[in-house]
Amino acid sequence: MTITPLYSESAPVAQQDAVATIDVPTKEPLGIERTMLAQDKIYVVLAVVLIIWFGIVALLYRTDRRIAALEADLEAARLSAD
Amino acid sequence: MPTLQARTNEIIDLRRYRIIRNTVVVWMTLVLLGAFLLDIPRIAILEHTARNLYFHVPMWFTMMAAFGVSAYHSVRYLGSDDPLRDIRAMQAARVGAMFGLLGLATGIVWARFTWYTGTNIWWNFDPKQTMAAVQLLIYAAYFLLRSALDEPRKRARIAAVYNLFAFVTVPFLLYILPRQMASLHPGADGSPAFSDITHPIMRLVFYPAVIGFIALFWVFYTQRVRIAAAKARITGDGEL
Repeated sequence: MTITPLYSESAPVAQQDAVATIDVPTKEPLGIERTMLAQDKIYVVLAVVLIIWFGIVALLYRTDRRIAALEADLEAARLSAD
Repeated sequence: MPTLQARTNEIIDLRRYRIIRNTVVVWMTLVLLGAFLLDIPRIAILEHTARNLYFHVPMWFTMMAAFGVSAYHSVRYLGSDDPLRDIRAMQAARVGAMFGLLGLATGIVWARFTWYTGTNIWWNFDPKQTMAAVQLLIYAAYFLLRSALDEPRKRARIAAVYNLFAFVTVPFLLYILPRQMASLHPGADGSPAFSDITHPIMRLVFYPAVIGFIALFWVFYTQRVRIAAAKARITGDGEL
């Protein structure tokens, strides 16, 4: 991969931007890319959504543990007050 | 006057809660996989956004189910004066309104890139969207009413009566009125919400998504009821 200079004599400026590469991939994708780039790359969206979902699930379980700890503290305080 | 001194295991079946919560996690993961992996026909304008059916529509079904739970507990409060009923009514409405906000926001984004492609319009007072926004304002008034009243018993009674009024408006604002008017939203102007352009295979993910999101509501709702009940044991008032 080569980094394209911002302005090049060989190509019109309008076709380029700061991150464009000269080697636009034309080879057949290999390995994981064969799966992830298929179907308009929708599997990439699925991966992102699943990461977010499992983050939310982790938060859900952590909150449950916090609530249980709070309830245990409350019960201990009630017993020591009696 | 009943007060809330019950311990958590007396008001919530924690074993049942954990079973449902763990089922929801697995269930919704499968729904997400189905929502992205199931091949659907490409329709002009909609393209892949047709998959929003699995996410946007269940937000509203969940909101309606949540408001139904809330109204049920308001009725039970008026018959019992049990503060736990008041807590349940309040927390069901809270989580339900959150789902409604997500439904409105997802609808705005979906409409922008389908109905309003090329116009730069995000919001055009489409009857269905407008009525949904009014619906959320009616429930916003419920929360404001609660925050304006300090005496728990009086607050619970007035809020329960208002909550029943709010619930009665739901079918009118979300079904009857928008269907009388010209709207771009499916289901408007007498057209069926599930039309012939909705491929039957999408029901395979859609119905499980509705069930999954309603169950997810129940998990969040139960969490909040636990917290409110714990607060009621400390301060005598379970308002969160």
